[in-house]
Amino acid sequence: MNVFKKIGDWWTDTFRVWRREFKLVFSDVGVLMFFFGLPLAYPVLYTLIYNPEVVNDIPIAVVDHSRTAASRELARMFDATQAMKVYDYAPTLADARVLMNEHKVYGILEIPTDYSRKLGSNEQAVTTFFCEMNLLLRYRTILLALADIQLDLGAKIQTQKVDMIGLPAQGMNQSPVNSDAVMLGDPTQGFCSFIMPGVLMIVIQQSLVLGVCMLFGGHRERLRRNGGVDPLAVDAPVSATMFGKLMCYFAIYVPLVFFMLYLLPDMFSLPHIGDPWQYFSFVIPMITASVFFGMFIAQFVRDRESTMLVVVGTTMIFLFLSGLTWPRFAMSPFWQLVGDIVPTTWGVEGFININSAGSDLAEQRTPYTMLWILAAGYGLLVYVLRRLARVKGGANRA
Amino acid sequence: MGILKESLKRGCRTLVSRKIYVGLMIIVPLAATFFFLNLMDSGLPVPVPVGVVDQDHSSISRQLIRMLSSSQLTEIKVEEESFNKAMEDVRTGKTMGFFLIPTNFQEKAIGGEQPTLSYYSNLTYYVPGTMALRGFKTVAVTTVGGMAVTKMVKIGVPEDMSMAMVQPVVVQTNAIANPWMNYNYYLSASFIFCLFAMFILQITAASVCYEIKDGTSVQWLKTAGNNIYVALAGKLVPQTIVWWAVGGVIEVILFKFNHFPLNNHAMHMIVAMMLMVIACQGFSLIICCAVPNLRLSLVLCSLLGILTFSLAAISFPVSAMYGSLGIISYIFPFRYFFLIFSDQALNGIALYYSRYYYVALLVFPLLAISMAWMLKKRMLNPVYVP
Repeated sequence: MNVFKKIGDWWTDTFRVWRREFKLVFSDVGVLMFFFGLPLAYPVLYTLIYNPEVVNDIPIAVVDHSRTAASRELARMFDATQAMKVYDYAPTLADARVLMNEHKVYGILEIPTDYSRKLGSNEQAVTTFFCEMNLLLRYRTILLALADIQLDLGAKIQTQKVDMIGLPAQGMNQSPVNSDAVMLGDPTQGFCSFIMPGVLMIVIQQSLVLGVCMLFGGHRERLRRNGGVDPLAVDAPVSATMFGKLMCYFAIYVPLVFFMLYLLPDMFSLPHIGDPWQYFSFVIPMITASVFFGMFIAQFVRDRESTMLVVVGTTMIFLFLSGLTWPRFAMSPFWQLVGDIVPTTWGVEGFININSAGSDLAEQRTPYTMLWILAAGYGLLVYVLRRLARVKGGANRA
Repeated sequence: MGILKESLKRGCRTLVSRKIYVGLMIIVPLAATFFFLNLMDSGLPVPVPVGVVDQDHSSISRQLIRMLSSSQLTEIKVEEESFNKAMEDVRTGKTMGFFLIPTNFQEKAIGGEQPTLSYYSNLTYYVPGTMALRGFKTVAVTTVGGMAVTKMVKIGVPEDMSMAMVQPVVVQTNAIANPWMNYNYYLSASFIFCLFAMFILQITAASVCYEIKDGTSVQWLKTAGNNIYVALAGKLVPQTIVWWAVGGVIEVILFKFNHFPLNNHAMHMIVAMMLMVIACQGFSLIICCAVPNLRLSLVLCSLLGILTFSLAAISFPVSAMYGSLGIISYIFPFRYFFLIFSDQALNGIALYYSRYYYVALLVFPLLAISMAWMLKKRMLNPVYVP
């Protein structure tokens, strides 16, 4: 009987902590801002920033030394691409360079004097393109467009030539082999479609960590103000306190996660081919791990405000460790290991694969299990730390 | 002169009173510098692990695989027999894409049936996906071209002529100032300094507003003889000096020891960094003047600091953003520093072209000085609103 009563008491304690935590969250503007403001506003804002997805019509200058019908056609082809538009013609390379220095153009096409003559005499004509390297996204767009231009132009000129030299044109003007590029996950090659799914996971973790730390900072401030006693503390075992808090954050994050992971990608037509049940199940260990990770970081927070100083800067570090920008296979084993102990690393990997590549939980078993391991690990760590703090501090109950 | 000296003394004392200042001003920026530089040491994340599905098993398909594995961009991690298996590899993140050589490829190619080579790149991971795409494309184009030449030679076109016919126009691309296409140059330089700028925003706001929260702002003002400008100078000048020193060390690490492109005189970047420090302090002060409350001003500084990473357009250009959002990018001091970096350090063009950016950085502190009276009002009457 005694055991049942203990279990019953434990649950009662859990619910009391849960209720207390709810009150704390909803009476603190700072925490509300992190728990609601961040997950609701940031994803929308970020998507709006990157929503144009691709860079179009990058202005370029043309230096045409050839001044022939063929060279003008080449310039027109550049102008006709989605990637580039001809901003201006310049008489010399130096003039074009001035345009570039003034940030009016980001590329210069130089067509040599002998361009048309070489084409006519069946030689390879070499033209030069100078690309400004200020942003890699522009360079990438231009580079892929240049490859297409060369292929198109090649096919076009080849057909003319074949006709000209009187070969049986049938079967000649087509290439013996075709090639076909397929873009997986992000078929438009858009920047927003690539970055947003990962950013959503980072927002989930960081908003939880910020909120949890700020609540804990508030607890520490109350302790200091009241001579080592927190008047709002609930007298409950450590495990019940942790579980009660976790339940409170879960209750808050269920609707938020529904908005972020289910509605937001639909609102902005981001890649969204995953099965909702798969990623909702996936996000459960993600939230658990983030909450316990937050409670762990909270140990280093002295007051409510220093939360921001401690946590905000880490966002960029976690972003890079997750492999979203710089892939994990190119990291040294040391940084891979450091990334392994951050929930976002696995959250980003698993969620992108489920959401954008249509994977399922069975295929994402590594990130899924890792998230549970992290949740268990940080949970245990926090449990031990809190227990030790209670032994030392007596009434110190968060 | 006495009050200025006293204020400076007090500023130095409060600066060393909290561990978090020392941490965020010196240790974290330098540690972050090490982190970014060490993480992206190789410059480009290549070779990218890819897969290949060879359903043909012919001499041509083997040659293709050899080309793929000798490419600088790709590394064949797995050779699968089925399309489904290769797709699974992509979904689980084992590979970043795969190259598919269909059944009877060689036979059809020789027989003139136009078989299709397909390559699949996973662009949810943008950078490695793009690398895989480029690697695949190069191999595909070379193969297609090579087979076209063979075909022409077969029907009697001279070989040199058929080469010119297959690719009559070559566009040679010159990547100005970064022919290695080193990705690290952009990411490290911009992210380190953007993080640095964010810390300046946070610390400035924190050091000013902690005085209001703790109720010591009256005493602070009294030390400065009730002169807000002296008070601010006393508090912020010691910080400015620390920031300059740390920023200088970061620049030396980047440009001298890591050989980041610096195609102009080093002073251009040093001055830019110094101006950016003052501009960020000014920007933060403006926020403090508008909302003289520790919590709110810190929240604003943090949120704006994080937004700088996107809105300063260090990866996605302002010209491609929606106009109403793109224009916001110019309220961030870091934006001008980034523009100076690309003009002066990367492209090494004349100072004349970046003149406005330097001037813009000067506007922030001037604006802050003109708003300082608002802060004084609150400092004389410190109320902590939790």
